[in-house]
Amino acid sequence: MRRPRPKLVKLETERFVLRTLKPSDVSDRYIAWAVDPDIMGPLNAPVRKLTVEGLSQHIRGFDNATRCLIGVFDASNDLHIGFYRLNMSLRHRNVTFTVVIGDKSYWGHKVVLETRAALLDHVFDARGMEKAVGRPFARNFPAVFNYKAQGWRLEGIMKGHARSVSDGSRLDQYQFGLLPDEWRARRNTGAGA
Amino acid sequence: MSDPEAPKKILAAALVVPVDTVPDDARIGGLERWDSLAHMRLLLAIEEALGRELSPEEAAGVESLADVRDVLQVASRPDGSEPTGVPGT
Repeated sequence: MRRPRPKLVKLETERFVLRTLKPSDVSDRYIAWAVDPDIMGPLNAPVRKLTVEGLSQHIRGFDNATRCLIGVFDASNDLHIGFYRLNMSLRHRNVTFTVVIGDKSYWGHKVVLETRAALLDHVFDARGMEKAVGRPFARNFPAVFNYKAQGWRLEGIMKGHARSVSDGSRLDQYQFGLLPDEWRARRNTGAGA
Repeated sequence: MSDPEAPKKILAAALVVPVDTVPDDARIGGLERWDSLAHMRLLLAIEEALGRELSPEEAAGVESLADVRDVLQVASRPDGSEPTGVPGT
């Protein structure tokens, strides 16, 4: 299979702009998210102090073809408030979503519902993906809410699937799935975002 | 759960709205105030009422006021069993 070409993302929703992140998007705000246990804990990600160069290198590591890092920006002031990681399998035509809203003042404002709706349209219509998958940890209640509220199907519970970075216990994870037809039907009812 | 209004009170507190504004058919997607943070407050409040963590199956099943009522009733049974007399599938 030929190596796919990078495809930069630029999408607009009513309140937000989604665009491929660049190394120049690194900021003290972005770095601060990685040391905040409120943000990293639900993702079971280690709290760690990143440097500007380290985070820039991380961003450069995404090929933006099958592994995409997409920033979420407030359209009213261009403030960077979070990001999505999309991992796409071209062979299986599925995409796994991960989202982090790092600016806590935006929590509870349906940012994920609005922005992920635009990304679902993008991956299904412009990228040829045939299934979307999300795997939130079972104790990440806000993330689970967002999958349910957006109409994703709970496909299963992966018991003890991951090891906690904080205490070594085994963590349960859900798998949610969404097919293009399911999404379009949901979209057409106006209930997806 | 001796107070029949307890499920609605727990949901209302999570949504930060008066109890009498919560409809009997309240569910995710049907109430503007039922957002991701309200959902987290709701599940944590249910756990506090039960005195234990919800299983992933129980937590995943909470999508409506009726589900809140069910999880509080079923989970508060000593053996966590389903109510008897309910036809099987």
